[in-house]
Amino acid sequence: MNPTTHDHLETPPLDPIAGILAIILPGAGHLYQGQLKRALLVAGGILGLFFGGLLIGGIDVIDSRQDRLWFMGQVLVGPVALATDFVHQNHFKALDPVTGVPRSPKPGEIKDPSTGEWVVGPAGSRPPISKSLAKMNEIGILYCTIAGMLNLIVVIDAAFPSAGRVRRGRVS
Amino acid sequence: MIGPFSPGSILMGLELPLASTGWRPFLDPIDLHRQWFLLLIPLAFGISLTYRAVRVATFEKYWLKVLILTFQVVLAMILLGVGSYLFIQVAVPMLLPMPE
Repeated sequence: MNPTTHDHLETPPLDPIAGILAIILPGAGHLYQGQLKRALLVAGGILGLFFGGLLIGGIDVIDSRQDRLWFMGQVLVGPVALATDFVHQNHFKALDPVTGVPRSPKPGEIKDPSTGEWVVGPAGSRPPISKSLAKMNEIGILYCTIAGMLNLIVVIDAAFPSAGRVRRGRVS
Repeated sequence: MIGPFSPGSILMGLELPLASTGWRPFLDPIDLHRQWFLLLIPLAFGISLTYRAVRVATFEKYWLKVLILTFQVVLAMILLGVGSYLFIQVAVPMLLPMPE
C-alpha cells in the first residue's frame, strides 16, 4: 500500500472529557479543547435550531410521551432538551378529566389547581399553551430533531479530535 | 402547578410584551401555515453552519462555504419536490392509467 498522508500522522487520541462536555452543552467540548470559534459556531447552530424549533411550534414540539421516537433524536441536544421536556410534562400538562391521562390543553381549557385536571374555563380564557398542529408542529419537531442529530456529529468530533480533518491531511 | 417562580410561570411571563398580538413565544406556534416552506431556508442555514464548523480545518472562506451548502440543500429539496411532483402527476398516470 502506498503511504498516504494519514499514515504519517498519529491516530487522533480519544478525548472523553471533551465528548462528555459536548453532550452536556453543544460546543462545550470544543471550548474545552481551546477551539473557541468552532465552539461558538457549533453552539450557535445547534441551539439556534433547537430554540428555533421551539419558537416555530411552541414547547409542544418536545414531548417524550406523545412523540417518543422524535424525542430520541431531540434528546441528543443534551440536558437542554431534557429540561424542556420536564417543563412541558410538569407545568403545561394536566390530567384529562375522563381518562385521567396527562395531556395538553384543548382551546378554552384551564388547569384546575385543586384537582390537577383540565376544566373548561370562563369565556375568553386561554390555556397555558396552544398545541401546535399540522405543518408548524412537524417543522418545529424537525428543527429540534435535526439539532440533536447534528450534536451527535459534534460530540463525535469533540471526542475524537480532528479525526476527519487529519485524515484529509488538512491539519491547521 | 404553576408557582410564581416556576419555569412555567417564567415562560408564561413572556406573554406580557406580546399581549397585543396574542402570540406567546415558545408557548404558541407561529402562524406561518401558508408560508411554511420558507422555514426550509433557516433550517438549511443552521445545518450548514454547524456541519461546516466541524468539517473545515481552517475558517478561511467559512461563510462562503456555509452559504454554498445552504444553497445546495435548498436546491436539492426543490429538485426533490419537483421530481416527486412529476413522478406522481406525470409518470404514474402514464405507467398505470386509470380505467375509463
